[in-house]
Amino acid sequence: MSMPTTHSAAAPPPADRGVSHARGAPVIRVQQVVLLALLLGEIVIFSLIGRNFQTWNNLFEILRLTVELGLLALAMTPVIVTGGIDLSAGSLLGLSAILMGMMWRDAGLPLIVAAAIAVVIAALAGGLNALLITRLRIPPLIVTLGSMSLFRGLAEGITRGAGNYTDFPKWFIFLGQGHIGPVPTQAPLLVLAAIGFWVLLHRSTIGRALCAIGYSPEGARYAGIPVSRRVGLTYVLSGVAAGIAGVLYSAHWGQVKADAGAGYELEAITAVVLGGTSIFGGRGTILGTLMGLFVIALLKNGLLLAELPPPLVEGMSSLIHRLPQWLGGFLLSPGESIGAHLPAELAAILTGVLLLIAIGVDFKPSFVKAPSAHGNEEFKMKNSQVAALSVVILLAAAIIAGGNFWLVRSIAENAQPRWASPGSAVSFDPGVAPPQAKRITIAMMPKSKGNAYFIACRKGAEQAAKDLNVDLLWDGPTDPDPAKQNEVVEAWITRGVDVIAVACENGDGIASVLRKARAKGIKVLTWDADTQADARDFFVNQATPQGIGDTLMDNAARVMGNKGEFAIITASLTASNMIAWQKEIELRRAEKYPDIKMVTIEPCDDKQQVAFDKANTIMGAYPNVKLLMAICSPAAPGAAEAVKQSGRTDVKVIGVSLPNDNKPYIHSGITDDIVLWNTADLGYLTVLAGYDLVTGKLKAGDTSMDGGKIGKIEIQGTSILLGKPFTFTKENIDLFDF
Amino acid sequence: MTLISYASAPDIPAVKGRGFISRYLREMSVAAAYAALLLTLFFIRPAFFQSHAGSQSQFGLTWVSAAPILVAAVGMTLVIISRHIDISIGSQFSVCGIIAGSLAVRHVPAPGIIVGTLAAGAIMGAINGGLVAGMGLPSIVVTLATMVILRGALTWITQGATVLLPASFQWFGASQRVGQGLMIGIALVIFAAFAWALRWLRAGRAVYAVGSDQEAARLAGVRPGRVVFAVFVIMGVLTGAAALLNAMQFITIYPSAGKDLELAVIAAVVVGGAAITGGRGTLLGTLLGVALLATIGPALGYFHAQSKWAGPEWAKAIQGLIILFAVASDGLSKGRRNE
Repeated sequence: MSMPTTHSAAAPPPADRGVSHARGAPVIRVQQVVLLALLLGEIVIFSLIGRNFQTWNNLFEILRLTVELGLLALAMTPVIVTGGIDLSAGSLLGLSAILMGMMWRDAGLPLIVAAAIAVVIAALAGGLNALLITRLRIPPLIVTLGSMSLFRGLAEGITRGAGNYTDFPKWFIFLGQGHIGPVPTQAPLLVLAAIGFWVLLHRSTIGRALCAIGYSPEGARYAGIPVSRRVGLTYVLSGVAAGIAGVLYSAHWGQVKADAGAGYELEAITAVVLGGTSIFGGRGTILGTLMGLFVIALLKNGLLLAELPPPLVEGMSSLIHRLPQWLGGFLLSPGESIGAHLPAELAAILTGVLLLIAIGVDFKPSFVKAPSAHGNEEFKMKNSQVAALSVVILLAAAIIAGGNFWLVRSIAENAQPRWASPGSAVSFDPGVAPPQAKRITIAMMPKSKGNAYFIACRKGAEQAAKDLNVDLLWDGPTDPDPAKQNEVVEAWITRGVDVIAVACENGDGIASVLRKARAKGIKVLTWDADTQADARDFFVNQATPQGIGDTLMDNAARVMGNKGEFAIITASLTASNMIAWQKEIELRRAEKYPDIKMVTIEPCDDKQQVAFDKANTIMGAYPNVKLLMAICSPAAPGAAEAVKQSGRTDVKVIGVSLPNDNKPYIHSGITDDIVLWNTADLGYLTVLAGYDLVTGKLKAGDTSMDGGKIGKIEIQGTSILLGKPFTFTKENIDLFDF
Repeated sequence: MTLISYASAPDIPAVKGRGFISRYLREMSVAAAYAALLLTLFFIRPAFFQSHAGSQSQFGLTWVSAAPILVAAVGMTLVIISRHIDISIGSQFSVCGIIAGSLAVRHVPAPGIIVGTLAAGAIMGAINGGLVAGMGLPSIVVTLATMVILRGALTWITQGATVLLPASFQWFGASQRVGQGLMIGIALVIFAAFAWALRWLRAGRAVYAVGSDQEAARLAGVRPGRVVFAVFVIMGVLTGAAALLNAMQFITIYPSAGKDLELAVIAAVVVGGAAITGGRGTLLGTLLGVALLATIGPALGYFHAQSKWAGPEWAKAIQGLIILFAVASDGLSKGRRNE
């Protein structure tokens, strides 16, 4: 019994749920105590090591970031209580947001009507899930797996992937970004929803019915509960919540694309399960879900603000260096030390660990040796719970003790700069040398961390940080995700960095948070991909979309001899920079190369093997295609491999990619050339520009800046120009190693 | 052996008088859908089946690409028949790929790479299996947790960097023709071996027994814990094998390789007729499910060349519709005997 089952499944309810007797009086479950301890533990730890963690502002920002996810998680709770699951919630969020945008902009309806219709459609979509689950008796896991794919697919199909709805009116944006007093506008909605679901689940007969159904659908039916209607209700509510969350998502980020809310369903389920709701159904609390939500939200936020105490950094680094070379060398290269900043991935890892602990605390062996050992089992449960509790408390105590130790040390070190006033400084510690000026912190964000291109940029950025003696904070989402980028920027504002430099996944979506950063006196740069011009000080422009589009199209025309057919392989139909490049490619083609025809654009999900498959499909379906233009970094080697394996010598590959991945193909002549800029220089220049902005060397209106080792750099308006994109060919590619 | 007849047909009331056709109804309808798709392609775009200059036809290439998915789907079928699920295989796949690549870069000979990668898969599977079977934790939550843990750890360690393989790694030094044949061959051998074992071996029947009624299986002398543990370990090993099959086609390994693999694999298994409630499903159905879903993408590409409406942006929606249609037909054929 390890999965949500159908409500019709005649499986006997396992005896190990063993909570029926506790149902009359709501007792506080051990799991909730553990959760509370976790929450407090996080607050204590992050207050110690996080910068500006313990501020009202930060609290409200966390609250704002939690609203959309919170709505999904709250609505997911009754679903899971009935023994079901709703994997389609995240996709439905995206679909309803897209529908709202479509009806508002394309159909010209008033925004409020469009939003209402979107919510109604989301309710209907939830009804579709309900219908399939209750009428056809298909397991919820499968139904919603299918509808997850269907809803996301519809959103992509409707917008053709590329459509982006933005420029919402002010009052609408206020809904997602404004404040009522100090409280984020949308926060009361979450509170209302929480109260509503609490009443539904814990103070109404419907809630009792839902628990009964989750405990035993058959039993509930015999008790006269309309099982189908009650179960259906939970999925419709989940749909409504997803619809409202979709509207709020659009207001919060100021833009919406078909990828909105991707992966939210898993985070919502994680919060619910972490909150003590049994995945088997029959038991669950709204309070637990809220705590689960905030455990995750605090963890994410705290890790972004955290700075590890230096002794810990040194200790761990030397520990890793002492490991055997084959293991340690994988983690850290010799002489390198682990950073004081915790990477965002750690939040995911810790969430997973917490999830395991949360269900571990609640565990009851399902392979019970003797079915009659019910009393025994209760006893065992208690033991395990006590053990887990003790471990948590011990751990928290150890961490607090360690934190205190460090705090005392760091206070001793920082005493002067923190509390120094001319008169009293002497009394603190006259022996210490005058305090150094505060080191500048430059926070730099790639579109995604898991991308070789940005790793290459990071090298240059780190070089610059070393040369200029500044702190470089490098963090961002693991996969390209505009909403996560905003989350990180919010945390950086709270943290109080000096410069924020962002490679924007969605320029319109991130503009308002960047404006907020500027309003707080933080210097804002964009690099790699720009945002709206008034949201940043300068854009470090490695190459304009036009520059890339023109170069790609010119290279294509050269390879094809100015005529014939070609196809594009892109990362995803929703990637904004590639959409911009495609536009420029098409403009250039129409203008200069009328005899060339672009036959199709295929997405490769940023995966080499998909690019390989797509290249094969294109070569088969369009036999006249003479050139594959692969414009994301895994696509170029994937497409080249497909051409190589097909044995066709009449098809060439060009694209945007990294030299190292493509060297073999360029040398064997399959790939004619790839286009890129000097990525290390891009990283270097960004950090340098940030430093110059803070120190006042670079001001608005300048027409050039000193690029250090890169040389003199031209500035056009507010664009710092790195230069033209570089074409790597057989002749020059071996000079580069990145 | 009451165990066997019960396990092969858990739908006791409906199974009376069922012949071959009704028992394999799902397999046959998926096969029919697959055949219809191929026929449509044959008439509208015969190029799908033609090979260019001594290389594979698109039809053959579809099978080459599907080979790793098939191997993972074989493992997932076992997991689902035993009434569990494993959503961590995408992360496992990425980890195994990077491990294979790291070993290859360190000039470990081919047998060492194979053993090392499969062992890594087995260890990850054993962790899942231990938590699920040993501690009785729900598999969907356990594997959700291991999915995010493994993915986070991999991103942390690799920072997204690709592994460039030595030239000798591709096809393990064989020619491309042989290599592609080997990929399909290995996948089909694994498929056949497990199909046979699931049908004819005691251990195979035990998987059905545990999936349809754990308590009854226990009373019949099967140890559910061991069976479930073994199933998860097999899932891990097969994920490792899938990662190897995938890696051997290329000269670089990307840590993002396994993203969303679990969805594709579960979808194929479900379309193939395995019941998520356990105890029911055949590997033949899974094979057909893999084949059908793997053909959708390329088929859309070929149709797109005819008509601008059949664009790649609809691929996901079509896949969702196929899943819903397949399970809905299941629900309808089950009738309303529970009302």
